[in-house]
Amino acid sequence: MMRKRFIFSLASVLLLSTLLLAGCNSGKSTEGSGKVTLTFGTSQSGIPRTGIMQTMAKEYEQETGVKIDFQVVPDAQWRDLIKVKLASGEAPDIFNVDVDPLSMPANVRPEENAIDLTNEEFTGRMSEEILPTVSHNDKVYGVSFAPTKIWYVYYNKRIFQELGIEPPTSYAEFKAISQKIKDKDIIPFYQAPASGWYQVLPLFETGPNYEQTAAGTYEKLNNNEMKIADMTQLKTVIEQLKEFADLGYFGKDFLSNTVEAGIEAFGQEKAAMLLRVPGTEKEVSEAYPAMKDNMGFFVMPWGDNQTIGVNPGGSAAMFGNKNSKHPEEVLKFFRWITEHDHLQRVFDEGEGNLTICWPEIEPKLTQDYIDYEKNHEKGTVMQAAVKYIDPQWMDIGKDLSGMFAGAMTPDQILQNIDKRRAEQAKVLKDEKWQ
Amino acid sequence: MNANKIYPWYFSSGAIVLYLLFIVAPALLGIYYSFTDWNSYSSEKNFIGLEHFRTILAGDPTYLLFIKNTVLFTLVTSIAKTILGLFLALLLVSGVKAANLHRMIIFSPQVLSFLIVGLVFKSLLDPNNGFVNVTLRSMGLDVLAQNWLGSLTWAMPSIMAVDTWKGMGYIMVLFIAGLLAIPRDYYEAASIDGAGFGQKLFRITIPMLMPTITIATVLNITYGLRVFDAVYVLTNGGPGNATDVINTAVYSSFAKGYWGLGSALSTILFVIMAIISFFIIRLMNRKVEY
Repeated sequence: MMRKRFIFSLASVLLLSTLLLAGCNSGKSTEGSGKVTLTFGTSQSGIPRTGIMQTMAKEYEQETGVKIDFQVVPDAQWRDLIKVKLASGEAPDIFNVDVDPLSMPANVRPEENAIDLTNEEFTGRMSEEILPTVSHNDKVYGVSFAPTKIWYVYYNKRIFQELGIEPPTSYAEFKAISQKIKDKDIIPFYQAPASGWYQVLPLFETGPNYEQTAAGTYEKLNNNEMKIADMTQLKTVIEQLKEFADLGYFGKDFLSNTVEAGIEAFGQEKAAMLLRVPGTEKEVSEAYPAMKDNMGFFVMPWGDNQTIGVNPGGSAAMFGNKNSKHPEEVLKFFRWITEHDHLQRVFDEGEGNLTICWPEIEPKLTQDYIDYEKNHEKGTVMQAAVKYIDPQWMDIGKDLSGMFAGAMTPDQILQNIDKRRAEQAKVLKDEKWQ
Repeated sequence: MNANKIYPWYFSSGAIVLYLLFIVAPALLGIYYSFTDWNSYSSEKNFIGLEHFRTILAGDPTYLLFIKNTVLFTLVTSIAKTILGLFLALLLVSGVKAANLHRMIIFSPQVLSFLIVGLVFKSLLDPNNGFVNVTLRSMGLDVLAQNWLGSLTWAMPSIMAVDTWKGMGYIMVLFIAGLLAIPRDYYEAASIDGAGFGQKLFRITIPMLMPTITIATVLNITYGLRVFDAVYVLTNGGPGNATDVINTAVYSSFAKGYWGLGSALSTILFVIMAIISFFIIRLMNRKVEY
């Protein structure tokens, strides 16, 4: 009797364990009724032109019978989540990752995790500027739609005209016009530290200015022949941000501001300037029609910068999971979405940017942008050219918030950047840091 | 009826298997990983001994700040929840009207997710348009309006206050159960002897409540040391690292892909919790004799 009960209990335990373990499957492509489903993991802003991509995925399903199941995760969580998913073998069949030539290999580990796309016809049609961001060791692994990214300071023309002020070309002018705007009880510049990353932009988007002033800065930093703490110009930019905060040019209690609320503050003319990317005019004027034709832009003048900072990585790229059960289906989808007509639809019917990284698609840049870019020098932003900057972006954002609140000094921020660079170099066994 | 009936051990084997599989094994693996250089940038996991522990405990002011904030948060919220929980419990068992309704209202925040509570309080404490500052300004008390979650002075106290508000209902319910279990005879006898409220509180109520206070304290401390959601939702550790605690640092380490380092931080937290809980239980489990 005892023996029977023992066997029964043991069998129950084993059955329960099996059921539990069976429940822990990866959630990868399902094949109920023989239909292939490809999982597509992405952050909210990482998915290229969200609506149109999902609409087109449905059309793809009707055409081929292959379903694309989107798993959209909030931006703040995706960077971490995809790392864990890749490491644990749980990554979706297709996944989006923010790319730049320096951090993509470390973040994706493409040789282990991504399908090699080098011999695919479509890779030859992507812009040459974007290819390094999705390539590693002469092999192409990703498909991007993102254009090169440029951040400008957008300003309210009406407020500028009323105050008789012009777009600034130096920090001194920037400060002077900000004071005039503040005197009119308008927030001169919308800052958004609560989002964690926005306040970091001036530090590294003005990178080409550092490189112009002291040629070889990027190379020295990459070879560990120079410390971030030695960059007096970067320190100046940080000090100027602090000065803006102290003088009230970011507004009162700006530490709680988010990026999302920036459009509202700018559109309602509570703030006269904010940092955004091309395409902002459309977004603002759609929400606030009174702002139509009321927006201008200029390059961010912190550190007396007058060079346009270009980020070749731009944004997220799609990768096919090398360990997917359906690598051929993933490739078929990539081939389909990159057909000329489909690219045109992604660009035309999607929201946002005025360009796309496929030269065969005509950009929608207005003459203002074309003229402005003609009249200004361009350079690569620091985070796309110097190692171990981009991965600590959010940490630097926290440090800057700490500085605005009075908890840190510019020198401490620079030292922290160096410390975190050394940490990551150590993890990656970087020879230059040995 | 055999009151001392001993059941076969395998009756509990199902629970034991689940416990080993989902609690013990991950915990042991976590401890093991804290001695490795496991990270998201490499598939290798090399044993590196105590290196992570040296990094954390060798006087790095950032890590020491995380530990200090965690301990401070734990101390303040534990004391506040215990005192307020006891006060409310005493009030509700003293015959106040609609006691059940009040109990339900005070307990209700406990059942809400901190994500919801955090978002509500973020809105209430918004320095520009939040209910708190708007109310203060409308009363002419502009000087009291603060950047509650964005300033070095107020961020941590604000988190502590929100967490105390959310958690005190649960502690109150524990105390109500403890208070109702104290025989009325003691109070009647004390009244006949002429004891006042204070004497009854300190000579009968608190000593008789010690087992409940022990449980409440251990719960408060273990919760306080593990705090994550309150800080993450309300300030994300900011401004700067001013409100970062050990678990937000663990999260941040994992987010950066430094999984070995994150595991080491978790291991340190585990050791701190085990030591503190051990001593508290030992200290407070002394017998109450009359």
